[in-house]
Amino acid sequence: MSEPTTSPKPAAAPEAPAAPELAVAPSSTRTGPGRLLVAVYGLFALSASARAGVQIATKFGHAPVAYLLSAFAGVVYILATVTLTNGSPTARRIAVVSCSVELAGVLSVGTWSLADPASFPDATVWSSYGSGYGFVPLVLPVFGLLWLSRWSRRARIRRTAATPAEDEGKEAGSGVGTPGTDPASRRD
Amino acid sequence: MSSVNGAMPTTIIVAGLALTGYALLMTARNRRMGVSLLAALGVLEILLLVLVGLIVAKLASGGRPASLPTLIGYLIAMPIVPVAAAFLGLVERSRWGPAVVAVAGVVAAVLMVRLHQIWPVIHV
Repeated sequence: MSEPTTSPKPAAAPEAPAAPELAVAPSSTRTGPGRLLVAVYGLFALSASARAGVQIATKFGHAPVAYLLSAFAGVVYILATVTLTNGSPTARRIAVVSCSVELAGVLSVGTWSLADPASFPDATVWSSYGSGYGFVPLVLPVFGLLWLSRWSRRARIRRTAATPAEDEGKEAGSGVGTPGTDPASRRD
Repeated sequence: MSSVNGAMPTTIIVAGLALTGYALLMTARNRRMGVSLLAALGVLEILLLVLVGLIVAKLASGGRPASLPTLIGYLIAMPIVPVAAAFLGLVERSRWGPAVVAVAGVVAAVLMVRLHQIWPVIHV
């Protein structure tokens, strides 16, 4: 009776605001905003490859081009999920390649599916620029590449700087790559 | 029983979108994941499990969708969504934890629409 249940900020909020010492710059490609990217990539990796698997196993002759493209998309999503989770310099390079292939794929297959609908009796993840999936397939590689470019810039600074930790903080504070995604620069 | 009652999928859509709204509010307010969001995910999980039970009962009584493997895939994937979101959300001790939970709410709602598409007896 004393505690409001619908208020967004009750008196005894169990969700403490992120403490200053916790609101530091993400420490790898899989933390911070990267956690969101990995989650969405994982979702698409699972759904695209599972769907392609069922389609190829049960009715491959119906739309072979669409199903093979779905399978290819599934593999690219799996690769991006794994490499973003790993986050080592080599993994980041592979992640850049898979995000680029993904962007090229959604743009070319999107155009192809609109220009020649006959080749696609059944939809792929990338048909009509991913409209069947709320255009997430089109937006996802863009965010992936932005996130990765921030990491390669930070690595470059770290290599040249005398005091890496300090420069990392400066780099995070500037928020050049993905404005508004840095907890350190946005906390109240 | 000719169809799965539409009340359950509709409830899940409303609950999922409400969860998304609440989680996005927490992300905007720079909160990390806490008990209330975890409890909301628990409610979503229970709703999804009830729906899985209803659909399995429908299958047991002889109903068959156009693509049974697809439906079974959905039945397996549905209860995993809130669990995976809770795990990722708790591991991430920043505003991006609730952001992952927000995705799970949308996914639950989209799954309901897709369920209706792969087996129209499941009304939304």
